[in-house]
Amino acid sequence: MSLIQIKDLNKHFNVLNRREGLGGAFLDLFSGDYNIVRAVDGVSFDIEAGEMIGYIGPNGAGKSTTIKMMTGILKPSSGAILVNGFPPHANRIRQAQIMGVVFGQRTQLWWDLPVIESFKILKDIYRVDQKTFDDHMGLFNELVGLKQLYKQQVRTLSLGQRMLCDITASFLHNPQVVFLDEPTIGLDISVKAKMRTVIKELNQTRNTTIILTTHDLGDVEALCRRIIIIDKGKVLFDGDVKKVNALFGAYRTLKVQVNDFDESTLKALAGQMIQHFGTNNGISISEVEKHWTDITIDQARTPLADVLSFVMTNFPVHDVRIVEISMENVVQKVYDGALS
Amino acid sequence: MHRITRYLRLYFLIEAQYIKARMQYRADFIISSIGMFFSSLATLGIFWILFGSITELAGWNFMEMVFIYAFYMIAISPMQIIFDHFWQLRYHVTEGTFLKYYFRPLNMMFYYISEMFDLKGLTQLAAGIVLLVYASIQLNIQWTIARVMLLLASLFSASLVQIAVVVSASCAAFWVMNSWPVLSLAWKLREFSPYPMSIFDGAFRVLFTYVIPIGFVAFYPSQIFLRPEQVSPLAYASPLVGIGLFALAYRIWTLGVNSYTGTGS
Ligand SMILES: Nc1ncnc2c1ncn2[C@@H]1O[C@H](COP(=O)(O)OP(=O)(O)O)[C@@H](O)[C@H]1O
Ligand SMILES: [Mg+2]
Repeated sequence: MSLIQIKDLNKHFNVLNRREGLGGAFLDLFSGDYNIVRAVDGVSFDIEAGEMIGYIGPNGAGKSTTIKMMTGILKPSSGAILVNGFPPHANRIRQAQIMGVVFGQRTQLWWDLPVIESFKILKDIYRVDQKTFDDHMGLFNELVGLKQLYKQQVRTLSLGQRMLCDITASFLHNPQVVFLDEPTIGLDISVKAKMRTVIKELNQTRNTTIILTTHDLGDVEALCRRIIIIDKGKVLFDGDVKKVNALFGAYRTLKVQVNDFDESTLKALAGQMIQHFGTNNGISISEVEKHWTDITIDQARTPLADVLSFVMTNFPVHDVRIVEISMENVVQKVYDGALS
Repeated sequence: MHRITRYLRLYFLIEAQYIKARMQYRADFIISSIGMFFSSLATLGIFWILFGSITELAGWNFMEMVFIYAFYMIAISPMQIIFDHFWQLRYHVTEGTFLKYYFRPLNMMFYYISEMFDLKGLTQLAAGIVLLVYASIQLNIQWTIARVMLLLASLFSASLVQIAVVVSASCAAFWVMNSWPVLSLAWKLREFSPYPMSIFDGAFRVLFTYVIPIGFVAFYPSQIFLRPEQVSPLAYASPLVGIGLFALAYRIWTLGVNSYTGTGS
């Protein structure tokens, strides 16, 4: 039996169109003016013990909502969900014992207490025996140098240190499954790398199932064998990460800031690219942020350096950045049939 | 039983750490305790001034009022000391930090309150006890073992009333965006509790006795000790009111926790 079984899972939120003021709040009590948000819309997948899954998608895709249902916070609107054989919502306390959860940047450690005291309290809460506790603390110390932080109050830790503490803490009671919701968000590159090693080590040494949500493809590339891509509440792809990498590993986005940018600039850029590099050039152009034009390039077809020099010589470029392909772009390409 | 000892043990473990951490800011603790001490004596000052011009308030003399007020100070202390975190519930709910309380294999209300322990409330409790002893000597109240037990039981149920009012009011945050009006109402009402209910006119008396029964925080239960010969039957209902209200508040909390869906993202 799979550790996690999800079948036709739905979560729909009724969002009230709220009125202004106190009187409005009162009227709202009787209002039937709802919008339905289909946060999770017919999701199915099974996860085996020991797997490390990358659950990815752009902001608002429904990742956190799925995790909230797997952890028992939210009751599904419909569909079935079993974790270790039980529906999580109906068995919150029992399920909590076999799970570890880290939700983004919101720490679950005791803000005012020294780090070590948080771990000792967790030891009591989860009834971890002394030997397991000592073993785990030793392992965490090897991985992240936890000992140096023992005496420090949680509030004084840097975001990276705190996330490392939170992540190791979620493994303290030897859970069967750990949910990491955007654990690398807001971290700089070096801390991110550290975080990835730690997660990988914990997954391998403890054989803990890990479900990792992120909108950073790099995390998934580094950690997961299987990837589930979700958007607008629906699963777009569920399969081997290699397949995704083969497609998107070659993609880079060139962000350029052009002086005197206006609507015609985008058109001009697109037109000249086709003229210069041909129609099957693997280049797409869009304005994602204000004043920044995103040029996404499939390096298998057109080298990034060529595009860069072409843009630099033909347009009054003010600033340039090169980034990995964004999740939004990946999703767009999956919709366009890239993985089918 | 096993569960209760486990929770007690955990509570003391967490609170001991918490107090230790707090003690590092000794100045902060001393100043806020002094502040608490004087602010709780402020109402006593009002009585003092009031009784400079009158000798009785709705039939109750100064020292009786002091007794009721002392009872009130003790009865609201558990709310202050143990349940203080409820004042912040609305922030946790709107900011999404409330999520973490679902993740531990613990009773959620226990986990929630265990995160806050208000040391300065101990000053209020101590001041209340001193004042109660003083007033009962002045009033020549005869204490027997049975009456002391009755006092403890009355204080316990009165605390439950106060706790229930604040818990229920805070839970409004689960359903309304801006729950501050509800909470501030609960806060303001509290200030009416140490007064004889008979000074309020009809509608308010009914409100404070039957709807939001803050009369049971101090006034009705104190009567048992002040005027045992003319107690209204309501006074003896106070344990029921306390336990009943707390059960109701707990139910509201459970409903809120189960209907909370977070803030998205
Ligand atoms: N409590 C809620 N009430 C209403 N809408 C919500 C709530 N939680 C999430 N949503 C909506 O559901 C969708 C999915 O949200 P979420 O699961 O948080 O996305 P993700 O974690 O992938 O960024 C979003 O459109 C979000 O606005
Ligand atoms: Mg999310």
